[in-house]
Amino acid sequence: MNASGIKLGLGLYTTLFIVFLYGPLVVLAILSFQTGPEGGPQFPIIEWSTYWYKHLFGLTPPSRIAPLPIEQALVRSLALAVMTMIVSTVLGVTAAQAFRKKFRGSGVVFYLIVLGMMVPGVLVGLGMALVANTLGVDRHWWGTAFVLHVVYTFPFAFLVMLAIFNRFDPSVEEAAWSLGVTPARTFRKITFPLIFPGVLSAMLFAFTLSYDEFSRTLFASGRDLTLPLAIYGTFSVEVHPNVFAFGVLTTLFSFALLGTYAVLMGLSVRRAKRMAIQEEA
Amino acid sequence: MTMAATSHDTPVETAAPSTRRQPDRTYWLLAPGVLWMLLFLVAPILMMVYVSFWTQTTFKIEPTLTLKSWITFFSSDTYLGALWTTVRIWLIVLVSTLLVGYPAALFVGLFVKNKTLSTALLVLCVIPFWTSFLIRVLAWRPMLGKEGAINMILMKLGIVTQPIEVLLFSELSVIIGMTQIYCVFMVGPIAFMLGRIDPSVIEAAQDLGASFWRIFRTIILPLSMPGVVVGAIFVSVMVLGEFATSAALSGRKVNLLGNIIVTQVGSLKWAFAAVAGVVLTILMGAVVAALLRVVDLRKEL
Repeated sequence: MNASGIKLGLGLYTTLFIVFLYGPLVVLAILSFQTGPEGGPQFPIIEWSTYWYKHLFGLTPPSRIAPLPIEQALVRSLALAVMTMIVSTVLGVTAAQAFRKKFRGSGVVFYLIVLGMMVPGVLVGLGMALVANTLGVDRHWWGTAFVLHVVYTFPFAFLVMLAIFNRFDPSVEEAAWSLGVTPARTFRKITFPLIFPGVLSAMLFAFTLSYDEFSRTLFASGRDLTLPLAIYGTFSVEVHPNVFAFGVLTTLFSFALLGTYAVLMGLSVRRAKRMAIQEEA
Repeated sequence: MTMAATSHDTPVETAAPSTRRQPDRTYWLLAPGVLWMLLFLVAPILMMVYVSFWTQTTFKIEPTLTLKSWITFFSSDTYLGALWTTVRIWLIVLVSTLLVGYPAALFVGLFVKNKTLSTALLVLCVIPFWTSFLIRVLAWRPMLGKEGAINMILMKLGIVTQPIEVLLFSELSVIIGMTQIYCVFMVGPIAFMLGRIDPSVIEAAQDLGASFWRIFRTIILPLSMPGVVVGAIFVSVMVLGEFATSAALSGRKVNLLGNIIVTQVGSLKWAFAAVAGVVLTILMGAVVAALLRVVDLRKEL
């Protein structure tokens, strides 16, 4: 493109755009180091301190600001995310496996699955609450909310696996079969290494989306709070910097997950390259 | 051995490979996922439609069919106001995510020639998607408040003398918050489509003396349209189903249909909540159907 002026302008714009994306989070992180308990959620920083982080873990003397109910909520959120991750990934891999063959009604099934990620949480959550009410079933995070988390994350796993299988050459598998390799061994040695990056991505999607999910949980879980619900509860009251401190920690946790994912992906890519070199030699 | 191995490969398959009938295997693989979606997605939505015709008493609903809740909804200024607010906010956010996101997508998808850099930029845009949605919403409070970061900077620079109060707890703050949160879903698909444009097409146009605007209008914009539509579908569906951003940033001034549903459920008015839910579903269905007329989603993925 000859218009280097346009390129420069767009580059500057993109920088601003990234500031727009990250600015609020940076401000939130700075304010989480506000002094406490008298320091409020705004500038200026009266004094730098880690008071609100200690407050989060109950290490500060009691004050008028109630601690966030995060201990139990964290356990529930993690358990829910792991359950969702396992079930969604299994469903996603099996459904995408089915889509490798053309079959009648594939369009309908495709849209049915994708619908799960498109229908807003408020609708499916309300519907699930109504179903539970009518059937007289109690709503729990591990029951009604869990099945909705899978409804939401399974389509992501499915789409990721579909993309992987689309680029997957079935003749590799067929070659192994025709050489007399058992299907189980073929799956372990050929199929799984090829789909591993997809499985990993599907797991990351399912875990993170479930860990942060709250609109479905709000309607479909009972009295017990998950982490996002605990945060949502603070919306209607005055916000204190302890919520900001929690935000920083949960964001760091998400980054740690992303980092682990990146490392595992890097390892898998390197392994694939090594295999390719071996083949050439 | 073969028998055992086959059943290990696909647990639902019991027939020996020689007699394996492909359609059966496909249906067995699909059954768990399809069943899950029918039971926990389709059934709840149908239930919502059904309950919207039930009779609402003070604390209960009874399965006696009536149109009363529907009549209440469409004769109430609060509900109709919420419907109008939802449509208005949706349109504004849709346009603003497009305007804010398109130039960034243009830069990332088309102007950055270095593949590593463009991937890095795209990753940078997508990372916030992996962090807590509620925290990102909440992060706008210390930005926009009367003593917030933006007002502080504007006053330091001498641009304003009084803090701008309309920034927080107004419709504007909801729009700013939603634009920031959802513009990623515009940037991604658009940058993806722009990245697929063959550079030689643009070079040919340049060689023939076309100006940048002409190239943009006749080549870049039409080829990026599928990305725009996919992004618009994502943004529309998410904004229409919103209630948390308005709950956090509008100080109860902005009531979307989602907020109406939350309040009605809170006061056990299930039938009214169901009516609002059905209205929202119809609205969303109409929007997505209209957008899908422009592009075949399945072909683009």
